[in-house]
This record gives sequence, C-alpha cells and structure tokens, in this order.
Amino acid sequence: MSASFAFPPSFRRSVIAIVATVVVFAFVPLMAGSFALHVLTISFYFVILASSWNLLAGYTGQFSLAHHAFAAIGAYTSGLLGYHYGIPAWIGIPAGVVMAGLFGLILGRLVLRMRAIYLAIATWAFAETVHIYLTADYQFTRGELGLSVKPLYGNVNPLPYYFTFLALAALVLIGLRALIDSPLGYFMRAIKDDELRAKSLGIDTTRVKIAVFSISSAIAGLAGAFYGHFIVLLSPQMIDFSEMAKIVIMVVIGGFGTFLGPVIGAAPVQMVMTYLQKYGEWNLAIFALVVIVLMRFSMEGLASLFAPVWRRIWTRHAI
Amino acid sequence: MEPALETIGLFKRFGGLLATNDVSLSVERGEIRGLIGPNGAGKTTLVNLVTGVHAPDAGEVKLGGQSLRGRGMHEIARLGLVRSFQVTRLFGNMTVRENLMTSFLARRDKGESDGAGQTEGMIALTKLGPLADTQAKKLSGGQRALLQMACGFVVPANCYVLDEPFAGINPVIKDAIIDMILDVNRRHRATFLVVSHEMAIIRRLCQQVTVMMEGRVAAQGTLDEVARLPEVIAGYLGKALE
Repeated sequence: MSASFAFPPSFRRSVIAIVATVVVFAFVPLMAGSFALHVLTISFYFVILASSWNLLAGYTGQFSLAHHAFAAIGAYTSGLLGYHYGIPAWIGIPAGVVMAGLFGLILGRLVLRMRAIYLAIATWAFAETVHIYLTADYQFTRGELGLSVKPLYGNVNPLPYYFTFLALAALVLIGLRALIDSPLGYFMRAIKDDELRAKSLGIDTTRVKIAVFSISSAIAGLAGAFYGHFIVLLSPQMIDFSEMAKIVIMVVIGGFGTFLGPVIGAAPVQMVMTYLQKYGEWNLAIFALVVIVLMRFSMEGLASLFAPVWRRIWTRHAI
Repeated sequence: MEPALETIGLFKRFGGLLATNDVSLSVERGEIRGLIGPNGAGKTTLVNLVTGVHAPDAGEVKLGGQSLRGRGMHEIARLGLVRSFQVTRLFGNMTVRENLMTSFLARRDKGESDGAGQTEGMIALTKLGPLADTQAKKLSGGQRALLQMACGFVVPANCYVLDEPFAGINPVIKDAIIDMILDVNRRHRATFLVVSHEMAIIRRLCQQVTVMMEGRVAAQGTLDEVARLPEVIAGYLGKALE
C-alpha cells in the first residue's frame, strides 16, 4: 500500500471485535454438545458465504445469484481431485479457490454491463448450468449418487472442524474488512451509489467490478472446498436455489450492505432453519413467514440495532 | 503552443435531433472560457462529448494536443480532465469525508500524496466541517453542489468542464465556488470551460465566451461583444445586458 493511504480507525476496531468474538466462541465447546457444534460449524461456513456475497451485492451493487455455485465449484474441485486422482486436501482446497476465482472472473466479465435484474437472471442461469452439469455428468461427478470426499481430519469428532471453520471465518472477515477499508473498498461503494460519477472521477469501474466478482467467488470457493472435506459427501443439492435464497435471507435479515449484517444474520438463520427441518416441506413456508415478520419490524436488518451500541463502545474507550 | 482543450468538428445526433453540429472550439491553457446559450443548444451534449460520456459521430476532442478518441470516461479523467454534472452527482450513501477521499484515491497518482490531509484541507476550505461525517444524500442542494466541486479540486486537474455549477444555489456558496475556481486557476494554471446562465458570474470569471445555439457555435468573443449581437439577444438573452 502506498504512503498516500492509511486504514481508517474502523479497521482496527473491527479486527479487535472479530478477535474478541473468536475468543468467546472458543469457549462454547465447553458447554455445547456435538450437535450444537455441528450447527455452529455450518453457521461459520455460511458467515463466510454471506459476507463474501455481501461484498459483491451489498457493497458493489452486483446482485449475483450464483454464489452457492461458486461454493460448489470449490467443493467439487477439491473433491474430484481427491476422488479421481488421490490429490490431498492441502492441494485440492487451493485448487478449488483458484477454480472458483477463475469462473468468477469469467462470469464477472460476461455480466459486466448488465443491470440489477438482468445480472440476477444471468448469474442464476449460470448456477443452474453448473447444477445440471454436476447432475448429468454422473460418471465423473457421481451426480445424485454423491461424491464422497475424504474428511479433513481422520475422525468424526466435530471439535477440530468447529475450530477450523471458526478460524477460517475470522480470517476471511479480517480480509474482507481490510478490502472494504482499502481504496478498492471506496471504489466499490462508489460504483454502487453512482457508476457514472465513479467513472467521471477516474475510477476504472470495469476492473473494480471484475476484481470484486472474482474475489468474492474465490472466497466462496474457499468456504466450499473446506465444507466438502467437512460434510464428506457432496451432491448437486449444494446448488439448489434454496441454498442461494438462504444466503440472501441471512444478509437481508442481518443487514444488507453492512459489514456486521451477514455475520450476525448467518447463525440465527441457520439455527432456525435447522430447527424447522422437522416440519419437512413446511420448512421454507414457515421460514418465509419469519422473514416477512422480521423485515416488517427491521428493514435495515439486525445490524441497525447494533450500530448505536457499537458507536457507544468506541466513543467511550477511544482507540 | 497546443491549446489545453480543443474540439474539432464535433457532430452528435440523437435520433432526429442533431445535438451538436460541427462544433469546434479551442481553449488556451489557464483560460476560463464561458459557454452560454439557450436551453437545448447542445451545451451539455458538448460537455458529454468532451468527457467521454458519449462518443461523437464525427470529429474529435484533444486535451493538451492529445486525442481522446476511443478513450473511456475514467481514462479521460485520469488524463486530468475533470467535470461536474448539471444535476449534482455524489455518492449519496457515503459521507462528505468519504466522497472527498474517493475522489482523491481515484486520481491520487496525479497529484499530492497525502489523502487525509488533502481531504481535511478541502473540508476546512468549504466549511463543511460539521457535516464531515454526514451522508451526502442528507445535504442541502447548495452543499451538494459545493461538495461536488470540492471533489474535483481535491486533486488539482489540468482542465475542468463545469456544467452549470451555479444553478439554484445561494450567493454565499456561489462565491465559495467562484473562489475555488479562481484559486485552482491561479495556482495550477488550470483551464476551465464553464457552462452557465449567470451573466454576472461569467463576466467576472471569463475573458472569452462561446455562444452555442441550435447545436452550433453561434458567436465567440468577450461577453460584451457577443451580448451586442442581434441573434444572441433574440435567441438567448432576450434583452441587451446592462
């Protein structure tokens, strides 16, 4: 970073808050059972997905509906490399990140000039294409039979996975915060507000949008690749539209376009959804109702409730 | 010496409307040129052609002798040609400070290196201090116009194209904007092309004015010279200037 730019105080504050949160969650396994740990682990996975989607949609204004597909690309890349060629996870996971980032770069390039709803439709079509491929080419991908993936750790103890995803989520959040507070972050928000003005100031909006698209896709790929080695059986279900809907719901409930939003939105939504699973088909219907009620009372999401608290903490103890 | 800003035979057609019809003008380095004319004369179209919002159907634009053909808006801005918009455009969800910082970061390697310092200096100059952490969309019209102008000056450019910077704002802010223009003009020999209907301000700022009517350059000279021309009085001013 050149001398002309220094991170604002918000960066340091956020890092402190993230680290403090990690410390709190490090003690949770002392009280929680293995099912609760499993649900929390998946919640951390969704914190990464929701936050990286929020970077693209909430900060830059590119409402992509392909984020779950990028997670699947990451997961399947590592899974397939392991299944067919015996390649270990420590190579498979980075390969999944690169693959998701590359697909993100290409898709980001294609949808560059599309606005709002057209971008949403085009990215959704991309996700469906990946879904259909994974189902149809079953000799390679194992299709609906499911692709078995080697677990990251030798046993089924949920504890190491819990800490892995906790650390991963924290690292990704710190990285995202750094990105948002960097010049690129200013340009992203500028593009969302007024792309023409951003251009008129000298911002290469094409490059910024493609960069954000591939970065957020690569992060989804990272989360997906780890996720595959955690749930150990992948199926095209991963690109079911309900998965994307879940990401959107988490961000909207938490606070669209806010840093905190997806972080505090993901876990409650994942827990409620897990809880509602016993109602089978009614799951989504009940959940839609919960969403409507929540949105009726807090359009700006849960993050708006935390904003005054956050301000008060830092004005009292100025750091 | 090459003119700072030059247009050569610019044509632009929108459907049945020939918005600019063979517009050629040239502005010397350090000059503040007025661009006047009735509504619909093609002034904003000219601004959009010069700054790369639209590509001309024929003709070309040169900045310091360098052709801008085929260059995108952001490239033109980075070459040092900065514009303001007639309808003020700001990043509404960003604060005053963030708007200035974004403008600085977008063109920073063109000028000085201290972003925070430049930003704070501009906040002090515009007296927007109490509003520094307010979202731009919550400002009044005049404050927005002032901020838009300040964003252009946070990194000094070679050339400014200002589309009606004085429309609908109070005298105090008008004076603040005039002072900023004169300051950048004097200190950096920046060139200006200013579209305005405010004849008193045009007289104060500009030695030369260009009159556009029906897409063409109708006249050029000092304000007093062009204001005497019968076609300018009939088509634009309505009556002779006092």
